[in-house]
Amino acid sequence: MKRLRALNHKAHLIEQAATDGHREEVQLMSSVVGCTTTFDPGWEVDAFGGLASLCQPMEADLYGCTDPCWWPAQLADSLNTARDWTDGKNSALRDWRELQTLFPGD
Amino acid sequence: MRMLPMKKALVALCCAAASLPALAAEYLLTVTRPNNLHVVDPAKREIVRTITLPGDGIPGAIAVPKDGKIAYVLTNRMESVVGVEIDTGKPVFRADFSTPQRRVKGFFAVAVSEDGKELYVHQAPVQLGRAEYKVEDTYIAVFDTADGMHAKPRRTFPAPRRISLMAATGNPDHIIALGWDMYLFNTKTGKLEKTFPVRHWNRPGIGEPDVLAMWGTFEQARALSTPYFVAKTDAAPDSAEAFKAGIAVFDLDSETLKVKEFENATTAMFSSVINPAARNEAFLVMNQLTKVDVDTGQLLKRKDLEQTFYAINISGDGKELYIGGALDKIAIYDAASFDKKGEITMPGGADQSIGWMRVVKR
Repeated sequence: MKRLRALNHKAHLIEQAATDGHREEVQLMSSVVGCTTTFDPGWEVDAFGGLASLCQPMEADLYGCTDPCWWPAQLADSLNTARDWTDGKNSALRDWRELQTLFPGD
Repeated sequence: MRMLPMKKALVALCCAAASLPALAAEYLLTVTRPNNLHVVDPAKREIVRTITLPGDGIPGAIAVPKDGKIAYVLTNRMESVVGVEIDTGKPVFRADFSTPQRRVKGFFAVAVSEDGKELYVHQAPVQLGRAEYKVEDTYIAVFDTADGMHAKPRRTFPAPRRISLMAATGNPDHIIALGWDMYLFNTKTGKLEKTFPVRHWNRPGIGEPDVLAMWGTFEQARALSTPYFVAKTDAAPDSAEAFKAGIAVFDLDSETLKVKEFENATTAMFSSVINPAARNEAFLVMNQLTKVDVDTGQLLKRKDLEQTFYAINISGDGKELYIGGALDKIAIYDAASFDKKGEITMPGGADQSIGWMRVVKR
């Protein structure tokens, strides 16, 4: 990290937040609401290191995660940047094959 | 025109009969993609009305006043609340939170006063600049439900972040809000009157609980409940006791909070409901149906389900459990035996996703 240097306004703000003691404001979830506030395990393994507490079938959780922007790295953000990602595809179990991969330029 | 006394009495009787509702029956409300509200008759195991909500979806939280006449649904990517008459489907209320320069989301936390006059929405605003977003402080916006289709907040008052559930309590001036802790607000003054510590409960040997409270279900027992998971800090980290599952129950009439751990955490549970006929019993759901005693902390019963369900509710007599959300089904289970008694499929196989499931009496 010593080799990284803030160059623009946003980077300076991040640097300043850390030096002002705001680093601890990022915390694990407790009553989670929405985008990027979640740091729980992903789809691959459940909170107990197994599979039994993953949603079953996995499609059951697809729209339940994309609609409140649960894991925005793994799923489309239907709340903001990919509002039409599931248009016309109202059943995850039936329609998941029609969902398209999103790229940063989309 | 002069009426004979007998005729007068008959007319009065007929008028009275016409204005009385039929014997109140229970109906379930749920929502599906893209933007539909369904009125379900659980006794007949069928959907009696589907109401297409105006505008963009996806619908989620549902708030209903005590008379059960209007459903207020959070929709439009959590940027609007739409109110519709349950009997006719007519839209009677709409509040759009955002403007082109300022995006305002309400993450699940929507409540209506018991008399139906005021709607409360916890809002998280962001100023959308050309090169940066500026996150603003969160607050609770108060709407007058009589303001119709272009409602704006009548007033706002500050509220902590991360509030995901709200409910009117038995005190007409109060709402309870669940976030990191539980906050009792006076809606008239905006004052935070009391904080019930949850994350900050500071219990010896018990860590900070982890709560996923996205489904509001409290109308039958008048108790808002949620499962939680918590580390037992005085247990060896590699022991089975190191992580516990519990349930938090807020009594809306006495305005008291009870928390109880009931098992070593081995499975996830998403939502819960209190039995109105036996208030010590709670039912929880996700991949299993679970019954616990909230007084003794005993795990009473558990059954594997055929799929994941997010949301749970219960009949007024405490005999039937309704489980829904996630995919396209509401399943009905016997609350005592956990035998499956019925299933209702949503029109077009549409997913309920994050949708709530409320019970109204009509």
